[in-house]
Amino acid sequence: MTGHADNRLRIDSYDWRGGREAVLRFGPDHGPAVIVALPLLEEGNRTRSLAVSVLRLLTDRGIGGLLPDLPGTGESMTSTEEMRLANMQDAFAAAAATRPGVHGVAIRSGALIDRAATLAGRWHLSPQDGASLLREWRRIAGQGADAPSLAVAGNAVAPGLLEDLREAEPAKHNARTLRLANGAGRADGTLPGSPVWRHSEPRNDPVLAQAISDDIVRWILM
Amino acid sequence: MIFEGSNEVEAAVRGVLADVLGLFPERAAAMTDVTPLFGAMPELDSMAVAGVLTELEDRLGILIEDDEVDGDMLESFGSLVAFVAAKSLT
Repeated sequence: MTGHADNRLRIDSYDWRGGREAVLRFGPDHGPAVIVALPLLEEGNRTRSLAVSVLRLLTDRGIGGLLPDLPGTGESMTSTEEMRLANMQDAFAAAAATRPGVHGVAIRSGALIDRAATLAGRWHLSPQDGASLLREWRRIAGQGADAPSLAVAGNAVAPGLLEDLREAEPAKHNARTLRLANGAGRADGTLPGSPVWRHSEPRNDPVLAQAISDDIVRWILM
Repeated sequence: MIFEGSNEVEAAVRGVLADVLGLFPERAAAMTDVTPLFGAMPELDSMAVAGVLTELEDRLGILIEDDEVDGDMLESFGSLVAFVAAKSLT
């Protein structure tokens, strides 16, 4: 994390059919780059500092990065109650289009968001499908499978988003899937570290951030 | 991941509790069958319970139904290990 890298972090914006959202840009404006899709809601908050650490490490290796707000996340004017999967996918695609040739990096349910984007490849960390995400949200909210809407950790979730997620699957095309070493499920490789998306207090995992950035560098440059 | 026996299940449950609740390694290692969990461990609130259950599902490749989740299952470390072992070793 050098001062030089800090100087190359800036806040920009991008337009999509539903409006304008902010995007953090890291590193050089030309050459290889990644765009990051964080998981939805609470896990997005818990993984943000991990994502920023990874983007800084990639900057040090000459790889640019984009971390867009999506409608309903971050500084977006859209409330979480108005979040819809198709809007997030379209906004993500519009942000990716500002950097042709960009590679997609998605964490957990972020892997449901990169489907509409034109990407040089998809890199997924412990991708979660919509059914599993809904089961977890219902558990957190203490509501059954027939509840029309949910409040998840203080965020109201619209019936429409619940419907969107029921059959949502991560895009498999041109995807590299990584999981933590102690996780189950199909993977192209495993990484050391802890599941920061589970930690109730947001914290970083430098070992995991380094392992992620090393794998991404090899993946992009191979 | 195929589990050979209950030792592996116990290690997985210990690892999940440590990761989700942010327990120091010494505290996680010191848990025994009779260590009380729900109601006794302040970190284990309802949201953390949801995280523990979902992470166990992810890590062990099992599915836990809502009607299987009750106070008995979460009473102690031993009862949680026994529940998960019954799920994953069958």
